[in-house]
Amino acid sequence: MALISKIAEGFMSLFTAGGDTFKGWVTGIIPMVVCLMTFVNSIIKLVGTERVERFARRITRFAVLRYTLLPLLAVFFLGNPMCYTFGRFVDEKYKPAYYDAAVSFVHPITGLFPHANAGELFVWMGIAQGLMDKGLKVGGLAVRYFIVGLIVILLRGLLTERIYAFMTRDKA
Amino acid sequence: MYNTIKINAGDGGWGGPLTVTPTEKCHTVLSVTGGGIHPIAQKLADLSGGVAVDGWKTNLPDDEIMIAVVDCGGTARCGVYPKKGIFTVNLMPVGQSGPLAQFITPDIYVSSVREQDIEVLGEAADVPETKAAPAAEEAAPAAEEAAAAAAPAQKQGFVVRLGKGVGSVVGKFFQAGRETIEMVIKNVLPFMAFTSTLLGIISASGLGNLIAKTIAPLCGTLPGMLVICLICSLPFLSPILGPGAVIAQVVGTLLGAQFATGAIPAKYALPALFAIDGQVGADFVPVGLSLGEAEPETIEYGVPAVLFSRIVTGPLAVIIAFIFSIGMF
Repeated sequence: MALISKIAEGFMSLFTAGGDTFKGWVTGIIPMVVCLMTFVNSIIKLVGTERVERFARRITRFAVLRYTLLPLLAVFFLGNPMCYTFGRFVDEKYKPAYYDAAVSFVHPITGLFPHANAGELFVWMGIAQGLMDKGLKVGGLAVRYFIVGLIVILLRGLLTERIYAFMTRDKA
Repeated sequence: MYNTIKINAGDGGWGGPLTVTPTEKCHTVLSVTGGGIHPIAQKLADLSGGVAVDGWKTNLPDDEIMIAVVDCGGTARCGVYPKKGIFTVNLMPVGQSGPLAQFITPDIYVSSVREQDIEVLGEAADVPETKAAPAAEEAAPAAEEAAAAAAPAQKQGFVVRLGKGVGSVVGKFFQAGRETIEMVIKNVLPFMAFTSTLLGIISASGLGNLIAKTIAPLCGTLPGMLVICLICSLPFLSPILGPGAVIAQVVGTLLGAQFATGAIPAKYALPALFAIDGQVGADFVPVGLSLGEAEPETIEYGVPAVLFSRIVTGPLAVIIAFIFSIGMF
């Protein structure tokens, strides 16, 4: 009898630990995320995606902006996965590179703007929460994640553009 | 003279497109938009050949209403007309919401409609007295009428206009809140439930300590991070690891637990964020490219281009992140 109750206790303790983690996330993460997301979503609705699209069309010519500002605008205003539709503004030969840049930014943006990809928040939040549990502030990390994200997508865009051009050199 | 019209969802809208054909009995566009006939309602009536009436002043039997035009922020009106089986055009960008949400379906409801979202498809087939007038000719005077109809709308009092302006902004905020909560319930909470259960089992069963003593020290170095990232970026593995970023999220959370215990030093947080994400979107390249309206040939060469690029840029990202974390924590 004692054995059975011990097993049962051990079994329950697995989920008590899980419950504590869940409780911490729901009370610690969700309230802030909800308010921030509501605010940013309202701004997006007030600005309107059409205005952003008009602007996006104008900046695709410049390689640096094409793989930094354009994906940033797309991910911020349209979120994952609609941000890839901005690919239609760039030339055919740049589309794979644009996609690579845009998709690589859907996680770095969540440190500062979780609305853009709330469904995949835990790439950032998993690590950030661990640091917070240790009593560290993650604001600086979020900013650096964002900046390094921009640098990385620029490099990714430029390199993928070259590789794609190399692969299709016989066609052109 | 009736025309079949097509109504598409506008910017941020939901539902539709609706294809509506007026008949002798049912050709009225009911404008239920806070007084007066809204220009969109007038436009719908003009293009289809029906009549627009002010829903606040006139009441009609349901079977004579062809389309109801509402500017509902998402509670009552947007659901009432679909429930009655009447085509509903909402001027606000509202999807399925409110207590009558289950009646709001894309085949009867369309939202965020503007003038340019309405098209004439052609003459209605069941009208006998046709003079074979092309739809384009029909549309020209209709546009003038719409302009004429818009003029009285502008004469509305200052208070009404102010009220509508405030209502529109508040409506957008409200809708933003609704979308946020929906996102949290549909995507964030289920992931939290799944991951916290997994984490609970790992930590309470002692598996966590095992990871902390064996794998974590290996991961908690720059070469370790580079190896993880390289594995994630391999072109034959990355498309498998990619979907929904589930693996990146679970690994992120597991690493987070190691950061919390101090098994991995906090200064490795930034490189870790990039190390676990070398495969991001690798599963989604063809879909993402077709969303960007790429040609099939672009997709054919684009997929390997992206995958090969990652072998280099994945580890490179970890190194850049490592450099950028100098001076933090």
